Amino acid sequence: MINKPSKWQQTWLVTSWEFSHFFKWKQELVSKFIMLSIGLLVFVWQQVKDDTQEYYRIAVAAEVSLPQNSESFQFVQTSLDLPTLKNELREQQKWDAILIEQITPQGAKRVSIYSLDKQAWLELLQQFLIKHYTLNYATLLGLQAQQLALLNAPASFDFSYLDERIKSDEKASSATAIGSLVLLLVGMFTSFGQLFVSVTGEKQQRVTEQLYACMSPQTWIDGKILGQMLHAIKVMISTAITGLLGYALFSVVIEGKSFDVSFMDWGMLPWFTLFSLSGIYLCTAFMASIAAAIDDPNHSAKTSIMLLPLVPIILTFLVMDSPSGWALHFLSFFPLTSFAAMPVRMSVIDVPLWQTLLSFSMLLLLSLWLRGAAARLFKMGMNMYGKEPSIKQMLHWMMSDRSTN
Amino acid sequence: MELDVQQISKQYAQVQAIKQLSFGVQKGEIFALLGPNGAGKSSLIRMLSGFTQPDSGQIQVTINNNYYPSIPSHALGYLPEERGLYPEKSVLKNIVYFAQLNGVDKKVAIEQAKYWLERFDLLDRIDGQLKSLSKGNQQKVQLITAVIHQPSWVILDEPFSGLDPVNQEKVVQFLAELKTKGMTVILSAHQMAMVEKLADRMLLLNKGQCVFYGTLDAIRQQAIVSGVLTAKFSDTLNDKKVVSLLEHTSYQILDEHTLRIELSHHQALNEVLLILPQLGELVGLQSEKLDLHQLYLSAIAKHGAAINDK
Repeated sequence: MINKPSKWQQTWLVTSWEFSHFFKWKQELVSKFIMLSIGLLVFVWQQVKDDTQEYYRIAVAAEVSLPQNSESFQFVQTSLDLPTLKNELREQQKWDAILIEQITPQGAKRVSIYSLDKQAWLELLQQFLIKHYTLNYATLLGLQAQQLALLNAPASFDFSYLDERIKSDEKASSATAIGSLVLLLVGMFTSFGQLFVSVTGEKQQRVTEQLYACMSPQTWIDGKILGQMLHAIKVMISTAITGLLGYALFSVVIEGKSFDVSFMDWGMLPWFTLFSLSGIYLCTAFMASIAAAIDDPNHSAKTSIMLLPLVPIILTFLVMDSPSGWALHFLSFFPLTSFAAMPVRMSVIDVPLWQTLLSFSMLLLLSLWLRGAAARLFKMGMNMYGKEPSIKQMLHWMMSDRSTN
Repeated sequence: MELDVQQISKQYAQVQAIKQLSFGVQKGEIFALLGPNGAGKSSLIRMLSGFTQPDSGQIQVTINNNYYPSIPSHALGYLPEERGLYPEKSVLKNIVYFAQLNGVDKKVAIEQAKYWLERFDLLDRIDGQLKSLSKGNQQKVQLITAVIHQPSWVILDEPFSGLDPVNQEKVVQFLAELKTKGMTVILSAHQMAMVEKLADRMLLLNKGQCVFYGTLDAIRQQAIVSGVLTAKFSDTLNDKKVVSLLEHTSYQILDEHTLRIELSHHQALNEVLLILPQLGELVGLQSEKLDLHQLYLSAIAKHGAAINDK
């Protein structure tokens, strides 16, 4: 007779099986290739842009006041008529654009810009010209440069809070809070969907008794939850990387800025990881136990219950604009919501360490209890075919002291 | 006894699945559980496997002087009634996964899988998706997953269902091979011919109760009807004479010249043989033992009638 493997070995086997069941090499390679291509594009663009530094030649009709040349634009005044200029633009490519100025009957200036096709730098040209005309008008009105600056920015706004815990860099705080909630949502949706398919699938494929003959319900559910958590982590990391690459594409390629990620509070990362993993564990365990009680996923009323774990995230979104309020304070301690609320609260205000540790400890305790309760529900649910247990029965199983080891 | 079941009962809602049942299984034997649908076979199997517990009574399994309330998972190979594997995965992956869960090293599991798949003429399908196999072939893969870790106890719930006669015979050989390897096999089946070939001992259940239990010979001894005698006469049978002479005997007039008599253990063959010439000139006499199928039908009918009388 062969020695039975340990619970840890069996859990790891189920975890690997669960992970590989939903890990499709082809899809993974394609998505990674796309991400890599975006990254490469950003890099190449930055290199090429730095090396070439091209400028655009703009033909300006004789009657227009000539703007000052800049790094990007060189303005050349010409007395040629528009058809000739157009011809030079199209045939000889002597110009990149032609600038014609007209005065409307109301006395306003109307500027027409002709180019070969629609290009991104035309917007930059427009912004440059707006500045030029603003200066012209200011001179005409006799305004000094300082007066003009005052008109453009009549007042500066500075918020000061008596609650000194609120972090001063609000931009970084809210970006971190929103980012952590979005990643949590993505991770949770992934593990939710896949675990639902996996549990109801195994039940419908009648593989449950064969598995129970090999291992305990606790080992089985632990393996499934860990497998799905690995997926959630994988998806959260790839979403974060994709987000950063997207940001890089936008800021470097389109806006021409440098790649700067200081808008995130990276010191929050360890706490976010701890709370998120515990939260995903909690919700995935809940999901597995409910899914086990579903006999036919197409006709079960219990599928709606499975949306419950999204409530903490939604609630946190709703109250995150009032970081000192009682609602976020309560949610950050309540173990069913703290996995979403505490990282958000920590992003926007300075939370004392003891509060963070207390919140995390309560979350861990609840997760440990739910681990056993979910296994009890899972055991009973997976053994029921043809009918579903009532909510009352499920609560009874959860609270019972039956061993599932 | 390696497995000793004493007075167990199990009730589900209003249904008495098992009632005051006692029996034992010896090490290394093939033990058959028989009974019509709903007799309680699967309920009993679930209790023996530890998935459910009896409401009363006791199950005791002895392995290396250790006692267990059901067959422990480390010693169990199980083919459930409600069965299935992972249809999207390959045949090999399915077998190796279950083998590893039962402690078999991956390399050994692959070798064993190839060995058994070859025995079942499925080696060429080893990398194919399980769902691409016919139902019968999937059943064979499932049998392999149940025993690949060489458990000391194997419980097979309906191992012949869904198989054609050729493959049923292969499964018979497969089970006989398990016995030679020292495994104790408990199986439930409706294919009496297969059970008659394989089983050392058997238990017939009806409505959760034991109808008969023991070896086939012992069951024949227990059975009310032990054999059948067919007598052929030259003259036409006289109904009144038959009724009066065979008053205490179970019989059936097959045609105007032929009589079928069911012999009970309580009835000496000599007595019947003395009566028969009084019914006319005997031109033919044939005696046959009841096979398991006939014993089964007769016992279930009698047991059902007895329960209804109560």
